[in-house]
Amino acid sequence: MRERDTAVDAARRRASPRVRRERFKDFLCVAPALAFFAVFVYYPLVDLFRIGFTNWNLIRDEYKYVGFKNYKWLFKGSGLDTWLASLKVTFSYTFWEIVITLVGGILLAALFNREGKAFAAMRSIVFMPKYIAISTSAIVFMWILNDQYGFLNYVLGAFGVGPVAWLNSERTALTSVLILTGWRVVGYGMMIYLSAMKGISKDYYEAAELDGAGALKRFRHITLPLLSPTTLFLFVTTFIASMKVFQSIDVMTAGGPYESTNVMVYWIYDLAFVQFRVDRAAVVASVFFVILLAFTAATMKISNKSVHYDS
Amino acid sequence: MRIISRRSIAVAALLVVAALGANAQSAKQYEVTKPIKIEWWHALESQYAPLIERVVAEFERQNPLIDVEAIYQGSYKDLNEKLIAAHAAGVTLPAVTVANTPYIAEYGASGVCEVLDPYIKATKFDLGDFGSGLKVASSYGGKQVSLPFLISTQIMFYNKDMAKAEKIKLPETWAEMDSFMQKASKVSGGVTERYATVIPGWDQWYFETFFLNNGIAIVNKDGETTDLGAPAAIAVASKLKQWCDSKYAYWAYGKDASSVMRQNFIEGKTFSVIHTTSLYNMYATNCKFEVGMHYLPGAKTRDSEIGGCVLLIPRKNSQEVKNAGWKLLSFLTGKEVNMLWARETGYMPTRNSVTRTSEGKAFLAEKPAFKAVFDNLDHINPRIQHTAYSALSKIWMQELAKVIIEGGDVAQAMKKASILIDEALQD
Amino acid sequence: MTNQALAANVRARRLRAAATVLQYALAIAIVLIVVFPLYWMIISSLKTSEELLQAVPSLWPAQFRWRNYADALAMAPFGRYFFNTVVMTVGIMGLQLVIGSFAAYGFAKGQFPGRDALFIVVLGALMIPIQVTFVPIYGMVAKLHWINTFAGLIVPHAVSAYMIFLLRQTFKSVDDSFLEAARLEGMGRVGVIFRILVPMCKPTMMTVGIISFIDGWNAYFWPKMVTTTSFRRTIAQGVYELKRSYAGLETMNQNQIMAGAVMAVVPIVVLFIVLQKYILSGFSKAASK
Repeated sequence: MRERDTAVDAARRRASPRVRRERFKDFLCVAPALAFFAVFVYYPLVDLFRIGFTNWNLIRDEYKYVGFKNYKWLFKGSGLDTWLASLKVTFSYTFWEIVITLVGGILLAALFNREGKAFAAMRSIVFMPKYIAISTSAIVFMWILNDQYGFLNYVLGAFGVGPVAWLNSERTALTSVLILTGWRVVGYGMMIYLSAMKGISKDYYEAAELDGAGALKRFRHITLPLLSPTTLFLFVTTFIASMKVFQSIDVMTAGGPYESTNVMVYWIYDLAFVQFRVDRAAVVASVFFVILLAFTAATMKISNKSVHYDS
Repeated sequence: MRIISRRSIAVAALLVVAALGANAQSAKQYEVTKPIKIEWWHALESQYAPLIERVVAEFERQNPLIDVEAIYQGSYKDLNEKLIAAHAAGVTLPAVTVANTPYIAEYGASGVCEVLDPYIKATKFDLGDFGSGLKVASSYGGKQVSLPFLISTQIMFYNKDMAKAEKIKLPETWAEMDSFMQKASKVSGGVTERYATVIPGWDQWYFETFFLNNGIAIVNKDGETTDLGAPAAIAVASKLKQWCDSKYAYWAYGKDASSVMRQNFIEGKTFSVIHTTSLYNMYATNCKFEVGMHYLPGAKTRDSEIGGCVLLIPRKNSQEVKNAGWKLLSFLTGKEVNMLWARETGYMPTRNSVTRTSEGKAFLAEKPAFKAVFDNLDHINPRIQHTAYSALSKIWMQELAKVIIEGGDVAQAMKKASILIDEALQD
Repeated sequence: MTNQALAANVRARRLRAAATVLQYALAIAIVLIVVFPLYWMIISSLKTSEELLQAVPSLWPAQFRWRNYADALAMAPFGRYFFNTVVMTVGIMGLQLVIGSFAAYGFAKGQFPGRDALFIVVLGALMIPIQVTFVPIYGMVAKLHWINTFAGLIVPHAVSAYMIFLLRQTFKSVDDSFLEAARLEGMGRVGVIFRILVPMCKPTMMTVGIISFIDGWNAYFWPKMVTTTSFRRTIAQGVYELKRSYAGLETMNQNQIMAGAVMAVVPIVVLFIVLQKYILSGFSKAASK
């Protein structure tokens, strides 16, 4: 180790002024991006932890440091119940979004995996909702889910079901939001799987067919394992994205009814800009960040061992 | 002796001159001397848009130096969020903004609003013409931090045609509510064809009168506890739940609840709704039947509360903006504009010189439905002022809606709410 | 061929035909379900208020009320929302591409001490979403007097760690000999990046540009925080604002709200159809990184 260090040092010492100038210019290329991350990502993160130790509320200009008071509120005080409930809602939303993306995605990929223009067009249509602003589609879905005038309850009523209070009941509110989510993400999962399936060599299937393996067996024993890197990619990206869910909640339920859809980011927003408890919001956000980081690191670690990579 | 008196006269004269000068000075201090563009934030729904346009145009005609942009900021709650965010940022503040009355305590305590007393004094604004309840509702800590703008109160709107055809007697007392609920609703086989009434559960203001009139203190005198967990409060809540469980009424809650409730009334799916007088013209124009207003039933008392909004000037504005803001604020709270509003919407006249005189009678001739309100002017009280009121209302609303809609034990829910409210009040 | 084999053959063919029919039927059913909300949005936007609220909803408007669109436009300044959104989106995309290209070059081809350690700083930024740090950022932006300005909308999104990551991968795959040749001809770094690397990686540049554009177009969280009036509001908030401006009368005005939704959706759908080749390849690239 030591020897190598001295070798590098020696190399550096030997570098001519011209080489050094070149290196500096190379560094200048990345400097703007780094400066940006310092100002708009890392500094706010540090500041966030600092605010957590103050009693800053958005209305008053002055504040003082109060130690762990806000942490006590979160872990031992009246914040605890809301926090646990919020964690539960956030994770169950995330769980279902992942299930829809992965399971729904792969099933649709199997269904829509067919040559021809008709199928190409249908695939595009199924994929498209991903690109429509969530806030806009949320308003359309609210209209369809309206408990008195909505189309869905009309259809269910024709079958003698309902009326269901969709967004207005704590039993169905999260499901209602997930209906919108499902509509948006299932086509995305399908597209990612389809493009990965195209990359699988036909030889595997031919060999399996010669061995007498049926379609289902081929899917289970060849397609699925070979898609595991894609599954991992979808899992990690969907996890990170869905933990941050905000738009659909803000538009459709505002965290309600009775905090049954009070996901973490919405709660942080509510604390800061509705209840003006910036100090508490900062603590919840800090803890949320640690949770996100830990889960992502854990997923990465587990997946590195168990994913089958096609070399 | 002579010398002294002459001297004292001179001193007195000097004092008078100085006082006059100072007075002129302070009035001048609030003058607008340069063209200026200001924002007025409000929470007045789209049906008021033409009226706002007219009022602003008239103001700009009278004050050619001031250009006013009236901006709709959503509900009172939305507006509150925007105002606080702007206050924290110290920029993009409106010169004048409306605020729902319960926010005044919180704003007053944290210095969001400019204290208006010097302006009132300097420009000789006639504060005395407002009813005393209104003055209290718009001040904090003895200081006038806002002025009454659009004032309403809780009311029951009912379908007069149905009432006549079916001879439905409107409830005068809390005890009569049971029979009213049965008579006015049409429920068969557990399915409601028509509700007797709809109770807005999305804002505690609408149902808190039921509790107040039953003698329950929402905030006790100590300012740190609530009586909402007491047996009397539980009894009121249980009644409300019972009517909803029997499907005579429903508890309107959730994001689209307000518009669905209005639609239900307009379509005759409910005999009545509990709402705010300010929406009288909205109901009258959209309903194909005659709309009546009925003062809410009483129990120990038969009071209602002041609703609606006040106008304030955010303190962090520059003095030029505040001056222009004061011009607009005093214009909007003036009698002419107020009467215009009273005529074209369901907001009430705020001036004693209207409500207590023949002008009031003329107004009633124009809008007979307002008799229900005018008969009870002395029973319309200011709302409870507490810096934790928005926290209180959120907890209460949520717990009550949950137990009524989703089911559960009322006593338990009210007790849980009262514990959380106590904590919020003491914080 | 024996009769038995023939029969088996026919059976297999029939089975395959049945499977095909089933596949078509299922696929079409799913397409219909996916399309339905958009269909419902469009026909609701053309109905009259009475038809909109009738007990048995109609699947086709009995009477087309095109006025809904004019009415929606009168309620909310969609023109302004579009203008704001275009400026914001193009600004974000432009800055992300330029700053991102420089950074990707530095990290892929540059030679300076600590390069890989600093790249971890970039990757780390991926882990810190604005949904966590928005409170301090809001405070910062407010102090800069950037509330309700394009600077406030654009600058906090001016650099994308994800884009730097993707561009670096692509730039790395370009052989050094191209760059050396260009340098020998006296080209500077800026020339190498924008006249050699960027054109050679055009498909990737296109995809990351489009992803950035669409993300910007649909951005909701930060624009909501940083705008308080319709002056700088963007389209993703626009429809929600339109709905709120009917406060209390949303139900009977759903036709106009849906008209607003249609106006917000159409540009992005057109863009999707025109550019879908790039969008699709972009995603498969990202997935198979």
